[in-house]
Amino acid sequence: MPPSGNAARAPSRVHRPVLDWTFWAAAALTCATFVRAVAFTPVEATQGPAQKIFYVHLPAAWVAFLAFFIVALTSAIYLWLRDERLDLVAASSAEVGVVFTTVVLVTGPLWGRPVWGTWWTWDARLTSTLFLWLIYLGYLVLRGAVDDRAMRARFSAVLGILGALLIPFIHLSVYLFRTLHPMPIVGKPGRPNLPSEMLTTLLLALASFTLLYAAMLRARYRLAVQRAALEQEGAD
Amino acid sequence: MPDNSGYYHAAYIAAAAIYSLYAASIWWRARRTASDLLAGREGDRS
Repeated sequence: MPPSGNAARAPSRVHRPVLDWTFWAAAALTCATFVRAVAFTPVEATQGPAQKIFYVHLPAAWVAFLAFFIVALTSAIYLWLRDERLDLVAASSAEVGVVFTTVVLVTGPLWGRPVWGTWWTWDARLTSTLFLWLIYLGYLVLRGAVDDRAMRARFSAVLGILGALLIPFIHLSVYLFRTLHPMPIVGKPGRPNLPSEMLTTLLLALASFTLLYAAMLRARYRLAVQRAALEQEGAD
Repeated sequence: MPDNSGYYHAAYIAAAAIYSLYAASIWWRARRTASDLLAGREGDRS
């Protein structure tokens, strides 16, 4: 079933541009964040310039968790209401979440090499993040492998919910295990222990990456609606 | 202070490249899907 049948066929929904002003606004804000982090944020004395990777790595991780939480939430509501629009939101969010997790997995080793002296270590935080990435990669492969739309939506909803159960474990892994990964700086009880200039850059990065996620999710959802319409017309 | 700016430049370039390529892939897939839809509808009319 396409998103509510008529919604997928409506020309205004199918033919509107996928990358609209919200995407370009989010992209501009993200570029501004990069400029602030590079040129207007002080260098940390112990770690050196590599510490600035933090302004990309942490917001990407936050957005990845948010994206997979949205997958789980919309999947759970899909299993209840069986509205295909929710399945399309879940699929779109999963794809965007995989992109942000890829950024986490690329920027993490680029920080680890100069600071820890190694690109990768199989500790709880890093390994569970890699598992999360693989689970949602599997989610996308599953969606591509099942032709029946109802079955595809049902199976992927279950996987989407189960995958998100890993998120609290990843967040708490630095407390539960001995890991090389630093303890949370934000997202913990008490005030963040960062100088105000660094904290401002971090908060701006969190806001701009969240906006970028919302814009990418919106664009990817529009593409999903187009594809559902194409699939529906092929079935007719 | 250690001189490791190459790593952070690499991280920022990698992140920008990943986001840009993904946005381009959405645009490209939407363009292809729209043209397939149009071709299908023109085929139905003729």
